[in-house]
Amino acid sequence: MLEDQDMSLQEAAAVVHEARARARRELVISAPLVYTAWGLVLLIGYGAMWLSVRGQHPYRGPSGVSIAAVFVLAGFAVAAVLVIASRAVAGIDGQSVRHRRIIIATWAIGYLILLSVQAAISGSATTRTYAFVAFAGPLLLAGLIYILASALGRNRPAFALGAWLVIVSASCAGQAPATILAACALAGGGAFLLIAVIEARLGAHDS
Amino acid sequence: MTAENGLDPVIHAPARLRVVVTLATLRDGDNLSFTRLQELLGLTPGNLITHLRKLEDAGYVTTVKSGSGVTSRTSVSLSEQGRQALDTYTAVLRQLLDSVSVNGTSPH
Repeated sequence: MLEDQDMSLQEAAAVVHEARARARRELVISAPLVYTAWGLVLLIGYGAMWLSVRGQHPYRGPSGVSIAAVFVLAGFAVAAVLVIASRAVAGIDGQSVRHRRIIIATWAIGYLILLSVQAAISGSATTRTYAFVAFAGPLLLAGLIYILASALGRNRPAFALGAWLVIVSASCAGQAPATILAACALAGGGAFLLIAVIEARLGAHDS
Repeated sequence: MTAENGLDPVIHAPARLRVVVTLATLRDGDNLSFTRLQELLGLTPGNLITHLRKLEDAGYVTTVKSGSGVTSRTSVSLSEQGRQALDTYTAVLRQLLDSVSVNGTSPH
């Protein structure tokens, strides 16, 4: 490339456009892809659990296949997010790296607490209470994490998603297991997919 | 050079413009390693150092070297002044392009 070559205005505009588009593609974690991955986990995984408990009398819990589907899908989502994130943040250091560590640590601690509570109440809680903790608990945790992430990264779509997930999961308290699973799959998974579309449109508009 | 049309001559060079735009994508408080920046821009190390020095002299970027030997890392970040300079540059560029489309003239 020539060093200090003069550029026409049109060439300068093209350089700005191309450099910005490339930098965003290479250095920014793709929010639409991350939201889509988790949206599909909820919609398909929780949806499968919902279909397996719908109409159960008495309630016996989700089928083994549907539970396995959730774990397999979640595993794929975690792997996809890790690949996307590690590619995007290679070579980047500073405040956002520290924020990401805080978010991951909070997520891990929160999930361990959730599993502990689930184990502690498994023998004594009512079916509805146990279903609320086991099914809506992860969604509540995800909502709180997105609110934290939005505060650290000043990200409005993440705040809207987090607040919505908290509302959806909190409103599941006292509901039947099938209702909780349906709410998490449709209102939770649907919200993730909606935010993915919004983020994709915002990204296209900015570039 | 183009100082007479209001465009910052330090930024108004293809390689430096790409450096500044790329670094502006990072969040406040973040920096990028020299090697990743070089890989993204496809410049030789010597070329990139030359452009970074010009931008550093203008106060637009900050480079920090840490560690030593094989663990050494040079990180590059855009300063607040650099961010403002890019904002001004893109605003002036937009105005000039608008005036070109209205008047049909082509200021360089």
